[in-house]
Amino acid sequence: MLKKVLCVDDDPITLMLCKKVIIKAAFSEEIIFANNGKDAIDLIDNFSSHKNDNQVEMPQLIFLDLNMPIMNGWDFLKQFQENYAKDFSKTKVIILSSTIDPSDHNKAKQYENIVSHFLSKPITVEMLEELKPLYS
Amino acid sequence: MAIITHLLLKDYFQQNTKALITFHFLKDVLFIIIAGLIIRFVIAKNDKRNINILEQLQSSTTEIKDSNERYDIVAKATSDTIWDWKIQEDMFVWNKGIQGVFGYKKEDVGTTSTWWFDRIHPEDSLKMSVKLYSFLEQKTERWQDEYRFKCADGSYKYVFDRGFLLFDNEGKAVRMIGAIQDITKQKEEEQRLKLLETVITQTKDAVVITDTDTSENPIPNIIFVNEAFTKMTGYKPKEVIGKSPIMFAGPKADRKELEKLSNAIQKYKECFIETISYKKNGTEYWVNFSMIPVTNKDGEHTHWISIQRDVTKEKEQQSEREQLIRELTQNNKDLKQFSYITSHNFRAPLSNLTGLLNLLDDVPVENEELQEILNGFRRSTQLLNETIDDLVKVVIIKDNPSILKESVSIIEIFENVFFQLSNQINLHKPNLKIEIDPELCITINKAYMESIILNLVSNALKYRSPEKTPKITIKAFDKDNFVNLVIKDNGIGIDLEKNHDKIFGLYQRFHDHPDSKGLGLYLVKSQIEAMGGSIEVESQVNKGTQFTLTFKK
Repeated sequence: MLKKVLCVDDDPITLMLCKKVIIKAAFSEEIIFANNGKDAIDLIDNFSSHKNDNQVEMPQLIFLDLNMPIMNGWDFLKQFQENYAKDFSKTKVIILSSTIDPSDHNKAKQYENIVSHFLSKPITVEMLEELKPLYS
Repeated sequence: MAIITHLLLKDYFQQNTKALITFHFLKDVLFIIIAGLIIRFVIAKNDKRNINILEQLQSSTTEIKDSNERYDIVAKATSDTIWDWKIQEDMFVWNKGIQGVFGYKKEDVGTTSTWWFDRIHPEDSLKMSVKLYSFLEQKTERWQDEYRFKCADGSYKYVFDRGFLLFDNEGKAVRMIGAIQDITKQKEEEQRLKLLETVITQTKDAVVITDTDTSENPIPNIIFVNEAFTKMTGYKPKEVIGKSPIMFAGPKADRKELEKLSNAIQKYKECFIETISYKKNGTEYWVNFSMIPVTNKDGEHTHWISIQRDVTKEKEQQSEREQLIRELTQNNKDLKQFSYITSHNFRAPLSNLTGLLNLLDDVPVENEELQEILNGFRRSTQLLNETIDDLVKVVIIKDNPSILKESVSIIEIFENVFFQLSNQINLHKPNLKIEIDPELCITINKAYMESIILNLVSNALKYRSPEKTPKITIKAFDKDNFVNLVIKDNGIGIDLEKNHDKIFGLYQRFHDHPDSKGLGLYLVKSQIEAMGGSIEVESQVNKGTQFTLTFKK
């Protein structure tokens, strides 16, 4: 089981679903949430400033939506890569989106070192069962 | 004298008879001698004259003979056809040219003028005979004419005929001699040139011919313009001949293009340019301008031919077209984006719904009514999901005309589809008949092909006849460079007479079936066409439907 995951989505129902599925699949011990890219960056920035504090552990995995207000998934990835990827090289991002735009897949390739999967919503228990061995 | 002497001396000699006899004797002798001398003198003179005449006669006979011989030689040697017409007797003699040039056999050549006239082209004969008769009547001094003369094979040759008359002592024309020259080749060349000339004079393109002198101007001076040029520019020939076409350039002329032109002219190379040019009245127009060097037989560069066309309208249309294309491209881009956004917006809540329903699977529901309602939710969500998946597929196909293709075994595709449909196959237990060569491969996009076959086979199950056991026959065979796939069922069929044009259309539903979304066949057709294939349908109500798919191997 993973220690901590971060779910970034502006839709509360999606976040609720994520939480329930992660719990059901026993995927992670701790789940934290952010409502958009900006919130997520703020969270990560906080982890970054307390890097040496054992109590504040950086999430191992980020489930990231693409279409969000304030800061979308792509801008989040850009900032994350520029400012935090070096410090948190173990943290991977899974894009979880309902997009059908094929160009999104090409865009995701620019972040190959960060983005490990590009999944289509909804998140399911089966999905997590498959992912689990890759991250534990 | 003898009588006078006799009368004078008669009395004197009456007395002397002896003396008289002697006198007479002497007188006669004298007379004979004198007369003899006179006669001899006269004869000798005449004789001399006769000899002269004879000599003259002899020499003129030789001349005639020589001249006749010369005529024969010339008639034989010339390539012309010579004819000789004794007018009063109407005797007409041809030299060998009539055989050599016109192909007549010796025995077929006529000996009267009628034979000649009969062989003159009907369109030329009237004009020709009028001229000829006025010559024969000596109203004109010379006769020469062009006409068409019939050959032995029935074809006509253009000829040039020249003749002269011979007269008798009274000045009457008795004989006419003519020489016919075959000018067919010249005539044909003349006509060809005339035809070529009409191209220049009649064409709608402006034609300008210039010399090659670039000492004054980078573009040499005009020596000819056709009518189309005058029509296009408003300049009459006399206003431009001797001037350089550079005079048509103006403030908006494309300097780069003009430079290109003068460079080409310096190198004697042909050149095509497009620029704004100016008419006589100052109007701007777009001209498509070509400049082609012309050389003479010796390869010397003698002229430039320039063909010019007013392309203002085309240019306007082109810019309108470009504008339209830009707008359409933008619209298309916007619509594409719109379709991505709407499908995303549909899919986001729907995926939540699906996810939530998934979670419910493990929650025990006691209430039967609730269970029923939940089942309804599930069914509707599933249907909505399928619809949106199909829509998304359509959007993606339309956006990606080029797709990845690979060689795939046909039987493998069907196996995958049957696996996906195993629930339905188990449920309806159709009579499946499959005739596919396991070796047969096809170059297609595997995902598309599976989607197509899944759609068609599930349609065959969905629209089965309630009275019959479903029977589905699947065949695949290659023919020339094509692979044909046939999927045939014995279902309820489609009324093609009513629906033939709509069958592959978007949102066309032919059956009141709860699962019918009106998308399937549209998607099938889109996918097939995206792979360069085609689909045809045959169907009869209550008998069944057959789809035939054709792909390049």
